[in-house]
Amino acid sequence: MENPLTLLVVLLLFGGGVYALAVLEYWSVAGQLAWGRPARLVLHLLLKEEIRPRQSDTVLYETAPVLFLAAAALAAAVLPWSADAPLLGLATGALFVNAAFAYVMVAMLMGGWAVNGVYAMLGGWRFLGQLIAYSMPLVMALTATVMRAESMLPARIVTSQLELWNIVYQPIGFGLFYLAALALAFLPPFDFPVAAGELAGGVWAEFTGARLLLFRLGRLLLIMTLALTVTVFFLGGWQGPWLPGFAWTFLKTLLVAASFFGVGRYLPRLRYDQMLEWSWKYATPAALVNILWVGILLLL
Amino acid sequence: MALTICLSIAAVLFGIGLYGVISQTNLVMIMMGVELMLAAAMLNLVAFWRLLHPHTYALQLFVLVVMTVMALEAAVGFALATQRFRSRGSVEVEEAADLKENA
Amino acid sequence: MTPLQLLFLGVFGLAAIWFGWRVFRTKSMVRSALSLLAAMVALGGMFLALDAEFLGVLQIMMMAGEMSIMAFFMMMYMMDPGGMSSMNMTHQQRPAAAVGIGAGVLVLALALLTPWPPAQALAPSATQQNHDLGIELMTRSMMIFETAGTSILVAMIAAVATALAYPQQPD
Repeated sequence: MENPLTLLVVLLLFGGGVYALAVLEYWSVAGQLAWGRPARLVLHLLLKEEIRPRQSDTVLYETAPVLFLAAAALAAAVLPWSADAPLLGLATGALFVNAAFAYVMVAMLMGGWAVNGVYAMLGGWRFLGQLIAYSMPLVMALTATVMRAESMLPARIVTSQLELWNIVYQPIGFGLFYLAALALAFLPPFDFPVAAGELAGGVWAEFTGARLLLFRLGRLLLIMTLALTVTVFFLGGWQGPWLPGFAWTFLKTLLVAASFFGVGRYLPRLRYDQMLEWSWKYATPAALVNILWVGILLLL
Repeated sequence: MALTICLSIAAVLFGIGLYGVISQTNLVMIMMGVELMLAAAMLNLVAFWRLLHPHTYALQLFVLVVMTVMALEAAVGFALATQRFRSRGSVEVEEAADLKENA
Repeated sequence: MTPLQLLFLGVFGLAAIWFGWRVFRTKSMVRSALSLLAAMVALGGMFLALDAEFLGVLQIMMMAGEMSIMAFFMMMYMMDPGGMSSMNMTHQQRPAAAVGIGAGVLVLALALLTPWPPAQALAPSATQQNHDLGIELMTRSMMIFETAGTSILVAMIAAVATALAYPQQPD
């Protein structure tokens, strides 16, 4: 970013957005908006006693929460908020976002393995299957937007949507990316790795105190980043009348993130095998059809 | 200077990979050694591209092909491991003597 | 190459060697798969330091999935994936070390003794590289790239056919 003031405003907005998401997360479970709850929860988790499982793998145990948070933050760093450059201008930004999301999976798998518990391990391996299945539509949907922009720079992808947003230009891609984003952030219809109902907390079951805080903060950051990705790649990024660019990005991002939680509140959880089957049998071919569709539109 | 650094690191990685392939008894560990050797080859290719021929993109393409080979090796290797485990209950190469004729 | 790039090359290279060595030096199989992942990521960092941005990011992305799957298969097919008991997973240590060191020294000697041409100072910009690599893929090297795609298809079919469960034959 050129202007340090804009950077500060963007960072503050991002933090505020994450706080709002924490409130919404509680709403999606309990159905009420408790504005003070996230702050109390942070204090609670920081002061809580740390319980370390027996024979845990120390290196992986310490790395997993940090890697989780870092992966989400790195993906956010390459996405532009306004017409100025993003924090980290990469010519392969669209690919880098995918790479960062892949490390969310690695972190979950590490955490699941490190704590030496059955539920956590099952959660970790479940997430491996889930993410590998859903990263196909995720990557292919992003590929189609890259095809339209003829560049992997996220800023170029935003400017390629000046005339028509990608949500209208390639609706299949948007739908697939939206679902894959839910699966990647393991939000309720897809919350298999941390399923509270069947795995007693899954990967996060054995993490306590500050490390659990890192995981939960990382998940909120991940949801925010995914919403930002949807905004940048499908909803025209910073484009909009009257308001400055970063305000539009913020509004759209928050709206998309809120819709993630809304979907989770009103949809039942899927069955694990059906979820995988739908991804491999229907979502991946649909993503290929989407690429073909965009290719035909580009040639016309 | 940079070329020397890259080639030496690749040589060491290649040696470690070869050591792993020969010394490990588990099929999956052997595959890890092979991956390490392929990775050393990729490092060499990228170094040659950057430092000797930065305008020859066939070298970058070669790296892509090596990455493909890594993925193929993993896929076929895991398939073999799966079949081995189904039929013999182990993927140890020490216990794979029945692959030899009249053993 | 700037001194900073050289520094990054060295640091990432040492990290790659360290993690590559750890792969065969730990009892826990998931740890060794994740060490290999760390070595591959360090290599990806070296690619980034060598201005090959696309290849570096691609390497970092591909290896996350590949090594996680490797960890998963390790856990499935090993008797002691966590390394809790002290099971020996190696054989022919001495010849292996001899061959490994021998090959390494040979390759190193070749690398050091060959009179390489002088290094090029400048590489094309990352955007230019992406564009030119795409053109290369779609023109001169299209056949090679298509062959790579076809071989992936063949390997997929072969892998599924190999891994299928056949009904038990009576002995």
